Amino acid sequence: MACVGSSSQLAARVMGTSGVCASCQKLLQIKAPHMWAAMRGMRRWKKKVLEREDLKEEVVEYVGKSPRRADRVYAWGCAVTGALGIASYLRPEKTQRPLVQQARPARVKFIDINHMKPYLVTCGYGFTLYAVRSAQGLQLLGTGINTSSQLGYHEVPRNSGRILDYIIEPVEIPLPLNQPRSTRIRDLGCGRAHTVVITEGEGVYSLGNNAYGQCGRPIVEGEEFSKNPLVNTIQGLPDDVVQVSCGQDHTIFVSSAGELYSCGLGADGQTGLGHYNLVGSPTRIGGDVDGEKIVSVHGRGDCVLAVSDKGDVFGWGNSEYNQLAMVTEHTQINTPHYLPLSRCGRIIKAVAGGSACAVLNDKGQVFVWGYGILGKGPALESSDTPTQIPPTLFGRNELEPHTKVIDIKCGLGHFVALTDNGDVYSWGHSRQGCLGLGTNENQFFPLKVSIPAEAHALACGVDHTVALCKSFT
Amino acid sequence: MNIRPLQITLAILKPDVVAHPHIVKDIRSMILKHGFLFVKSKKLHLSPVKAADFYEEHKGKFFVNRLVSFMSRLIKSYHQKSSCMSDMNTMYIGMLICLSSGPVWTHILAREAAIPEWRQLMGATKVLKTIYEDPESIRGKYGLTDTRNCAHGSDSEETAKREIQFFFPEFDVSKWYQETEPLFRSGQVRFDEEKVEHVPVLQNGTAGS
Repeated sequence: MACVGSSSQLAARVMGTSGVCASCQKLLQIKAPHMWAAMRGMRRWKKKVLEREDLKEEVVEYVGKSPRRADRVYAWGCAVTGALGIASYLRPEKTQRPLVQQARPARVKFIDINHMKPYLVTCGYGFTLYAVRSAQGLQLLGTGINTSSQLGYHEVPRNSGRILDYIIEPVEIPLPLNQPRSTRIRDLGCGRAHTVVITEGEGVYSLGNNAYGQCGRPIVEGEEFSKNPLVNTIQGLPDDVVQVSCGQDHTIFVSSAGELYSCGLGADGQTGLGHYNLVGSPTRIGGDVDGEKIVSVHGRGDCVLAVSDKGDVFGWGNSEYNQLAMVTEHTQINTPHYLPLSRCGRIIKAVAGGSACAVLNDKGQVFVWGYGILGKGPALESSDTPTQIPPTLFGRNELEPHTKVIDIKCGLGHFVALTDNGDVYSWGHSRQGCLGLGTNENQFFPLKVSIPAEAHALACGVDHTVALCKSFT
Repeated sequence: MNIRPLQITLAILKPDVVAHPHIVKDIRSMILKHGFLFVKSKKLHLSPVKAADFYEEHKGKFFVNRLVSFMSRLIKSYHQKSSCMSDMNTMYIGMLICLSSGPVWTHILAREAAIPEWRQLMGATKVLKTIYEDPESIRGKYGLTDTRNCAHGSDSEETAKREIQFFFPEFDVSKWYQETEPLFRSGQVRFDEEKVEHVPVLQNGTAGS
């Protein structure tokens, strides 16, 4: 019974050599029944000490010798549509329950366990499209709601007549291409229920709802869009379309020369064609953008903003919430108007949600106007003219004085911003947790979304958001 | 048992929500939770012309002229690329265009004070405001924009009758009040998930109409 020294002495002796001291060994051999309890405690203690020793010897190499940054995809928001592409949320294990919304970023493992490298992502209302490079070559993947065949025709199992309305994990969307595995996709656009795909050198394709001509083909009265296998090749566009932007029910194309073409619903003038009609084939937009080289166009709802290479902004469409009050008193305009935003500097990106607009200039400053949660305080705001969101809210501080916003995106009621160090900030109306801040509450100023990776591209749907990221190492 | 007879109203779930079956399910359970009874239900696909007819019923003569001309021009101009009326009230054009973009669900709902209660449950039409001001309403929860506003409801007993007649020409309101309404009022009905209607529990003659 010599093992009664102070605990530190004991530990030193124990851990010094083989793990257990000789006196303790003796103790372990005692068989008297009244000592059993003490022995049990001893044994447990011995086990713990040994485990601790093992841990000390184990060397964990967190970073390999030649670390390569892996592609990661994080998604958050409404999960019940399948737009997040995480199948276990909707087909859970036995002991788990289905998850209808995910209010914080969740890793879309499908992409990285299949060693896919996504290079483009776009979100529609309840669905997501990825353009990826994989071992099989280049692919277009889609996940989410498919009630208007916006993700193509998927019969599972084949010839069973069971055509999927909800796709809960990314599937390949077959396009009628000559070289499907090597044709790069230049841009993707998703609206409320339609999808537009711009390929490099093989034309422009559209899928889904064409009730207003948003797919760029003539409207067929009474056409059924669900379970419809049609993939349409859009005619009447120049060969060099580089960008597409879909509103809820309209589509706008940008050619490499900076010309704009539009089709679809024009009830608010969002097609910018000088009328309020439906347009079933891409038509050149005139007005103030004529002669300008447009580099970016965006409009999620019924208001559209375009940016020229000179940094000027043009707007058209709905102005019920004073989005275009700078140039019109009406609630809508049907031709592009130059917006006097000279106070905002040289604009590189302009986005329009349902009732609010935002622009980003080359200095990384963000300006907002319109109605709703603009991101500058604890109340709903309504503003006719742009005002700046303080850069501190996007992480600029003493330690990181040069941080700036490099991209902004928006859904109908929420905004996300990407900074040059790969952080994501979100604010606005939280629909099904689409802000990714862990709660389903509205956020009145930009707040950092905690993603365990460095983001480099963002996409906003109506009720979900997706970020393409690189792992830190 | 209520003493006053139930009121009936017409409810339409528009294509923007019908395209999302999980939202339809949610809205349906909201309707049931608020004590509404489904008298009749129908899923249909409106053509733009039929949708225009509906608002013709709905908005009366003054509106009709503008609307009909708009609709016919809309359809014609789509091919001819001519210009449409520009000063049209966007909301109604939007409503009308919205109605014809896909299948819709139409329901006859019964409840005490069904018309105001349904309108309250729907929330205000200005969706982009309603999402902040009345987030628990149907439009506050699921509405997209002011024109893609989820649902429609009759605004008075008079229009309710007309609208029900429009979508359910085979439905006889006075006959229903005579024969089936007491069963609905006394709660002798159960909800049939498949038909999306409440059906009388007791079998007596024409019940189930």
